[in-house]
Amino acid sequence: MTASDAGRGAGPDAGRMIGRAVPRVHAPRLVRGQGHFVDDIDDAGALHAVVLRSRVAHGRITRFDPAAALAGGEALLVLGPDEIERFTDPIPTAWRIPGQLTGTVALGDRTVRYVGQPIGLVVARSRALAEDVAELVAVDIDPLPAAIGLAAALAPDAPRLHPEAPDNIGGRIHFGDDPAALDAVLAAAPHVVEREFAVQRINHSPMEPRGLLAEWIPATGRLTVHSSTQSPHAVRQELATALRLRVDHVRVVTPDVGGSFGGKVTLYVDEALVCLAAVRLGRRVKWIEDRTENLSSSYQGRGQRARARLALDADGRFLALAAEITGDLGAFAIQAGSGPFQVTGLALEGPYRFPHAGATITAVHTNTVPTGAYRGYGMQEAAWIRERLIDEAARELGHDPVRLRLHNLLGPDELPYTTRTGLTYDSGDYPAALRRAAELARERARESTGTVRRGVAVTASVEITGFAPSALLELFRIDWAGWESARVRVNQDGTVTVFAGVIPVGQGIETTLAQIVADRLGVPLDWVAVELGDTATAPYSDLTSQASRSVTLAGGALVRAAGRMRERMHALAAAHLGAPPDEVVLDGAQFRWPAGNATTGWSEVAARGWRGWGRPDPDRIRLEESVDFDPPAITYSYSAHGAAVAVDLETAEVTVEDYWTVNDSGVLVNPAIADGQIVGGVVQGLGIALVEEAVHDPATGRPLATGFTDYVLPVCADVPPVTVEHRCTPSTVIPGGFKGLGEGGVIPAPATVAGAVAAAVPHIAHRLTATPLKPERIWAALSEAKELSEAGELPGAGDDRG
Amino acid sequence: MPIEPTSSTPISLSVNGAAHTAEAEDRTLLSDFLRHGLGLTGTHVACEQGVCGACTVLVDGEPVRSCLMLARQADGCRVETVEGLAEDGRPAPLQQAMTDEHGLQCGFCTPGVLMGLTYAHRAGLSADQAVTEVLRGHLCRCTGYAGIRAAVERHWQGEEATA
Repeated sequence: MTASDAGRGAGPDAGRMIGRAVPRVHAPRLVRGQGHFVDDIDDAGALHAVVLRSRVAHGRITRFDPAAALAGGEALLVLGPDEIERFTDPIPTAWRIPGQLTGTVALGDRTVRYVGQPIGLVVARSRALAEDVAELVAVDIDPLPAAIGLAAALAPDAPRLHPEAPDNIGGRIHFGDDPAALDAVLAAAPHVVEREFAVQRINHSPMEPRGLLAEWIPATGRLTVHSSTQSPHAVRQELATALRLRVDHVRVVTPDVGGSFGGKVTLYVDEALVCLAAVRLGRRVKWIEDRTENLSSSYQGRGQRARARLALDADGRFLALAAEITGDLGAFAIQAGSGPFQVTGLALEGPYRFPHAGATITAVHTNTVPTGAYRGYGMQEAAWIRERLIDEAARELGHDPVRLRLHNLLGPDELPYTTRTGLTYDSGDYPAALRRAAELARERARESTGTVRRGVAVTASVEITGFAPSALLELFRIDWAGWESARVRVNQDGTVTVFAGVIPVGQGIETTLAQIVADRLGVPLDWVAVELGDTATAPYSDLTSQASRSVTLAGGALVRAAGRMRERMHALAAAHLGAPPDEVVLDGAQFRWPAGNATTGWSEVAARGWRGWGRPDPDRIRLEESVDFDPPAITYSYSAHGAAVAVDLETAEVTVEDYWTVNDSGVLVNPAIADGQIVGGVVQGLGIALVEEAVHDPATGRPLATGFTDYVLPVCADVPPVTVEHRCTPSTVIPGGFKGLGEGGVIPAPATVAGAVAAAVPHIAHRLTATPLKPERIWAALSEAKELSEAGELPGAGDDRG
Repeated sequence: MPIEPTSSTPISLSVNGAAHTAEAEDRTLLSDFLRHGLGLTGTHVACEQGVCGACTVLVDGEPVRSCLMLARQADGCRVETVEGLAEDGRPAPLQQAMTDEHGLQCGFCTPGVLMGLTYAHRAGLSADQAVTEVLRGHLCRCTGYAGIRAAVERHWQGEEATA
């Protein structure tokens, strides 16, 4: 990652920018403390809001009395459930997918359904004052029986959350082969490995919590919202719906965003209430989420259980993969509803050949904070199920786990390939990546020492990237656009401004898009500025940077737009020089016509272009090119990951000592940014594997991890060096050959770590089915194995602690 | 029930070399005073309980979680924030190393990381100690710490080379 001198100034390589590890264009600003996060915006004169939240998991609000809070005059506004209901409509679930049974998030409702649910808002001159006054609002809630967790919500006598979901089931669907047919294949198979799996709830934990500054101009009826969100257009639409406003009267601006990871992709109820307060008061109102709210009330990710079966023949060939997946929606079906769990089913087969496969998905409402998108959703849970089953099959049947995988991986000559659940993989060489990861595993395996047992493992996975096309979204009734638009403008002085609908949240997209445009135009990188995140100026985009779409879709659009602009600039230069267009070359800042021994400047051509002088086409004047890009299909990245772990039998602690990935995301625009995405994703995967867990008290439904002392994130001491190797199979559906890589790091990481733990302590391998692999979980498995061994039921394991 | 009025105290302190005298509510945190009182928004608040390190500033040369210190406790002190690291309008070498090595993605934790590492470097800690004793006390959700470690290596090596 050395690139400090790359790409600045108009050197001979100035135009060749794709594939170069240049520094991020926003880094110099952020290291100087000149970020522009929502809480950094000048808030002089703004009022401050505090959100009132339910302290019970399920109940009816019988009293909401703001009198004492209003008596002193410090509270300028107190919003309660009745007033909220009068002035708002529910936020619709965007994914009206088949099988989705529930579909709105209530704003003002006297029934509360989870601890932390917003029930009101207090506005005062300062945040401290608002917090003081909030304590004076009298709220009584009559508790109702609550369903905390999947088992409680599915019990025959479980309390019901929603009348439209009498069994608390908010969504149900089946993908792939018919369940009866699958059962028949499994019944006839020589070997079947069956396990129960679980992936815990996760808090996204962006370092910057959510927050917004809302401004309402009463005379014009216009609302401007600066919000730490990944999806300004979707939030604009949801705000317009919730507050009954015209879309063109709502402007949403995304300033710098301090991480999102899927947690800032939709309008939250508390955010809508802040905007409602701004409307009611005709003032600027600000709210910044605190960390306790973030960990207890921001939507979470994952939360899934599965029973899964893998069938193999006597030679180790996969015959079938079947899963019954149960997902915890929480109290409401937000944004994508049961979509994340459905993706688990769709992505279950991964890069392997399965003659039969299928998954039944059941999404369940519980009295806990809703779940939704978290980086790599569905795909990480699918890899957890599949790769653990494969490791277990290898162990039970005495196969080498790498050979078993290679035996069943799709070969490059089999692509494109359509899975049983209907995904069509485009291109790649899956076995080559796995063979390389296995080679690294052999090099990096380390011996056990004393009571520290060591093991290595490798896994294989695919990543759905560039989520589109729009027709697919229509087919699935996802009420969003799948296409992206991007615009290239050459300004009057020759500088370049790029507009796109995708959003920077730290992934470096402003840099990679600038590189693509600089490369295609042939101009220096620092001539190009990228403008993102303001619904007043940005191209329309519902999905923005979710689902590894930024470089694939906005980048693909810009390859085309910049290509067209390059042709226009060359044609204008040629006309100015009196040269044939194909004889003009751009050399640094000059267009040169060698045969005619004539030159003209890039900026002069731009200035003449804006004046409309010498244009070849009478109706094309301004130097702008917009491209709408709706790709024909999804493009798939893939990777093989490897981990080396140590398990201390005396403390039951797992240490990841080494980690490596072999990744193919097609053409890389900026390898250093790509590495950063992959390593950052891997470390979030290590968090899922080992330490992170959003737990609710089973009796009260209260969140038990409400600060970073209880919700443990990986620190640098937990993270081994991560080696990233790249392969390059260009995408066949994206201009430029890009594939996405925002989620590939996290997807296989928990399964890879668990596989290595299983190799280190094989006598508890069958118990490694749920994350996080905290010491207490490993300890319980080791103790059980020891007892069984001492009872003579598990030979060979009893000496493991000596 | 009226809200009890809160008391205020005038405080004087130096921030990045500039003297400030201001009225601070007694309950105002140093982090809020810097951000909202003085407009120095480079110092970020992320966990509000001293765990994540994002709000780290130097008070009389020592790293402090500014979310755990009251502004009035800094009365008479010399405070340094991320805004004070650059010299003559040019990024400090550690800031340049973070940029060059992709030591940040969203950049929200970065100011605290920079202040912690600035302390480590001044205190004469080795690069290894800077990682194990200082960086370990900072949470970053984006980078997986790889780029920050690389920046530490580069910065400490660069200083050796010029020493």
